[in-house]
Amino acid sequence: MKGKALTVLLAATVVLFVAGREPARGRPSANDGPAPGTAVVKGIAKFEGSRPAPTHINMNADPSCAKLHPGGLVSEDVLASPEGGLQNVVVFVSEGLGDRTFDPPPQPVTMEQKGCVYAPHIVSLRANQELDIVNNDATTHNIHPAPSNNREWNKAQAPGTRVDATFAREEIAIPLKCNIHPWMRSYIAVFKHPFFAVTDKAGNFELKNLPPGDYTIEAWHEKLGKSIQKISVSAGGTKELEFVFKSTAGH
Amino acid sequence: MLQEVLKLKKHRVAAAAFIAVYGWLFLSIAVPSASALPIPKGNVHAIPAFARKYGMPCSSCHEAWPKLSPFGQQFKDNGYQMGNEKDAPIYQNPSYWPVSFRITPHWHRESVDHADITNPLPTGATTEGRLTTHGFDVGGLDILTAGTLAKNISFLLVPAAENDGSFHFEAANVRFSNLLGSSWLNIKAGKFELDNIISEKRILGLSNNGGFYQMYHFQPVGEDTAMFTFGLGDNQFGAELSGHSKNDYTRFSAALLSSNDGTENLPNGHGYDTFVTLSQAFEAGSLGLQRVGAFAYVGRAPTYTVGGELGTDGLGQKSFYRAGFNGLWYIKKFDVMTQYLHGLDNALLGTATPSYNPLPAGAHSPTWNAGLIEPHYNLNPQFILIGRYELIRMSRQALDTNAGNLGDIDAGTVGFRYYPFISSRAGFAFHNEFSVVRQRGVSTSGRDLTSSSVFLGLDFIF
Amino acid sequence: MHSRKSILWMFLAAALLALPSSAMAQKVEGHVGKLNGHVDAGKQLYFRYCWGCHGFRGDGNGENAPYLNILPRNFVSATFKCRSTPTGTLPTDEDVFNAITRGFYTTYMPSWTALTHQQRADLVVFIKTLSTRWTKEKAGEPVKVPAEPALTTDGIKRGKELFAKLECWKCHGQEGRGDGPSAATLTDSNDQPIRPYNFAAGTRFKCGETNQDLYKIFMTGLDGTPMPSYGEQIKPEEAWDLVHYLRTLQVTHNSAELALWQGTKEGAEIVKAAKITGTPTGSGIKQ
Repeated sequence: MKGKALTVLLAATVVLFVAGREPARGRPSANDGPAPGTAVVKGIAKFEGSRPAPTHINMNADPSCAKLHPGGLVSEDVLASPEGGLQNVVVFVSEGLGDRTFDPPPQPVTMEQKGCVYAPHIVSLRANQELDIVNNDATTHNIHPAPSNNREWNKAQAPGTRVDATFAREEIAIPLKCNIHPWMRSYIAVFKHPFFAVTDKAGNFELKNLPPGDYTIEAWHEKLGKSIQKISVSAGGTKELEFVFKSTAGH
Repeated sequence: MLQEVLKLKKHRVAAAAFIAVYGWLFLSIAVPSASALPIPKGNVHAIPAFARKYGMPCSSCHEAWPKLSPFGQQFKDNGYQMGNEKDAPIYQNPSYWPVSFRITPHWHRESVDHADITNPLPTGATTEGRLTTHGFDVGGLDILTAGTLAKNISFLLVPAAENDGSFHFEAANVRFSNLLGSSWLNIKAGKFELDNIISEKRILGLSNNGGFYQMYHFQPVGEDTAMFTFGLGDNQFGAELSGHSKNDYTRFSAALLSSNDGTENLPNGHGYDTFVTLSQAFEAGSLGLQRVGAFAYVGRAPTYTVGGELGTDGLGQKSFYRAGFNGLWYIKKFDVMTQYLHGLDNALLGTATPSYNPLPAGAHSPTWNAGLIEPHYNLNPQFILIGRYELIRMSRQALDTNAGNLGDIDAGTVGFRYYPFISSRAGFAFHNEFSVVRQRGVSTSGRDLTSSSVFLGLDFIF
Repeated sequence: MHSRKSILWMFLAAALLALPSSAMAQKVEGHVGKLNGHVDAGKQLYFRYCWGCHGFRGDGNGENAPYLNILPRNFVSATFKCRSTPTGTLPTDEDVFNAITRGFYTTYMPSWTALTHQQRADLVVFIKTLSTRWTKEKAGEPVKVPAEPALTTDGIKRGKELFAKLECWKCHGQEGRGDGPSAATLTDSNDQPIRPYNFAAGTRFKCGETNQDLYKIFMTGLDGTPMPSYGEQIKPEEAWDLVHYLRTLQVTHNSAELALWQGTKEGAEIVKAAKITGTPTGSGIKQ
């Protein structure tokens, strides 16, 4: 009996293994036609608790950077509005889209290095969508993403030049750093679908054109972790959400 | 020394019991048994301190420890250096201490046919018979310390205790490596093992019969081994110049040695021997790395000594030599070590005649040929099957009156070593071995002396 | 009866199980020159020589990894320092073969010349089975290394200017001692502190000893480390100038570049000043 159970297990493993290797092909692309849906999910990300003391960035290692910030510069780790709106939270659909695939838009996303700071601080884009990285500083930077699900690479970038990049697979989010200027750190959120947003200064976000269905909406912050809510939207409906991030103890 | 009769027949019960204790052991081979000179087995080198230092598993440097792999040989030839500038002690954690211990508790059974029995038995009718002993025992303790003192200066110190606790220095040497930045120039001085590609210190046999190579210690019948002892496998005092290509495929060594077979305090007064080796490895497709080599030892030994309290000097020095060639052949997981050796001792040495006396009538310089074939099957780094067959054939006896085959030896060993785990911290092996030796015409009554060993051991090193 | 049937099932299941794995093995191939690597042979070699540091799964988490200050290569993430291919791409089989052959100076990875060429090729193929990247991606196109131009003092001077302009000194220091303003903050992709190469110490380069190897280092970058690729930033002739200049920073390593540089007044002064300061290992100090 034992032997038989084992063989069944083995056979099941084989079936799963073979099935898992089937490439995903021939499914309809939702980008072919008009917007995939009409539902809207919007809301706000909030920060509660004592705010961390602003971390001052020491740019002494590179005077050419420091002189662009005569008043000094603080870290962009946690940016909250006086009303408690949390900026730079990535809000996105993490589950519920099923097998739908979406082609990336042809227009590139741009990120600028100026004053030895990345702008925007959080880049969000689609898998295989082009990212143009511009160096408007007088110093050489190096662009060094440290992905776990994409290729790692590292390119030097002289002043005034451009580096183009794409990321093939979804990953939230890829840390990006410049080794030459260790305070330069940003994140690149890569999505396989168009339903994502980064909260503005007031902490607001909006996901548009969702097809009706049940979704898991995730909110991710580089320092404060992530938060998940399950929702259901109907065609043309609007859902309001609030994500609350609490201050991590000891900071 | 051996006299009188004691007939003890086939004691296999204890062996079977021991097999039961281990549960998985089975070793039985029916071959006649015989015994040569009881030569103390060599202390064996495998150094977990190195594994700890580099974090590599034993199997990196040892095909099956203590036998070296080509990578381990290269490491050794490079002066215990990996060559990545991380070898010198300054790169080590200060708590690192290059010391290892090895000992082998075991059960063994020794059986000798036509043994000379020393104590008379009341019923004694003959003076020869089978002598069988068995029981639990322990091998000698090796304390292996080795490493680098600075970049390109390495050392090896092996204080060794016999199983009765008596102590000696098995090896003690310092090596200056890569002189003038060249891997072809290395100098070692002290007490060290000769550059034998088939190393007796790394032999995959531990029993009384199989724990050494017969050909490395063979001396024709009739020699005075108190005056003249020689073992090609023994560690000796001297200085050695050696070199190798970067990848260690080409190797050579030339050593100048005190002619006292590694005994301290110059018991022979003066006299020097030389030993040279040369070997070349080549790749053979997917079979592995093959190696062929040649060696020659030319020595002089005294035929008598003079002196007393003020010291002893060996005089009437006469020459002897051992020369031959060898090969390491790999066929994927299977490998064979082969070696041929030709030996010659001066007639005075061969007949134990001091040079101030005339040679006995019909005396010659004895010569002989010896061959070794030792196959291994290395199933994986954790298991190795071992076989060995050695033969020694006299080609000229020292005396015309000797039988033509007097002293000829046939020796066979089979065994396996199983390493239940391989780590970079310690080593452990179940060692099981059966070994038989037959030597022609050397029993008291001139019959063949045969002996056998069964060895079931727990070989550990840390 | 019953047991015989289940044995039959076992055989069938085993046969089925064997199919995809052999299909996988077929996908990963390795060729180094005329040598064709064999996965099974490579596997045996890996589990004899490599797992202590690189781990059973090849993830660089061997039993010795916690004790190493430079972590073993993680073959699962398949990010390799020494490549002939552009940053972010997989190395060629020859690149991996050469890394095994050469070893990595100042790390615990020794040179494996004691293994035969065939054995090293076998290891290359086995290493490629440890990451799915090798089945999904192709190795990058090797960067072209144009013929080395003649060594001139002007070339060295142009290289010196480039060293300043590209801000190599930010990490490597003005004299190439690995003590630039950013040096202390550098970490590798495992967040382990990593030091920039100290040219003055004169140790051999990790990725090979020739000028071509040095050329490749900054045209491909050392993936997994802070050393970026300058492939899109400098022209081949500029890269060669930089190579020639970098050799003069190796003040304890005799080279044609150093000799020529010391022959000039400017170079002699710079080299002399650099030598007197000595090196961290104290080697080659000549007062």
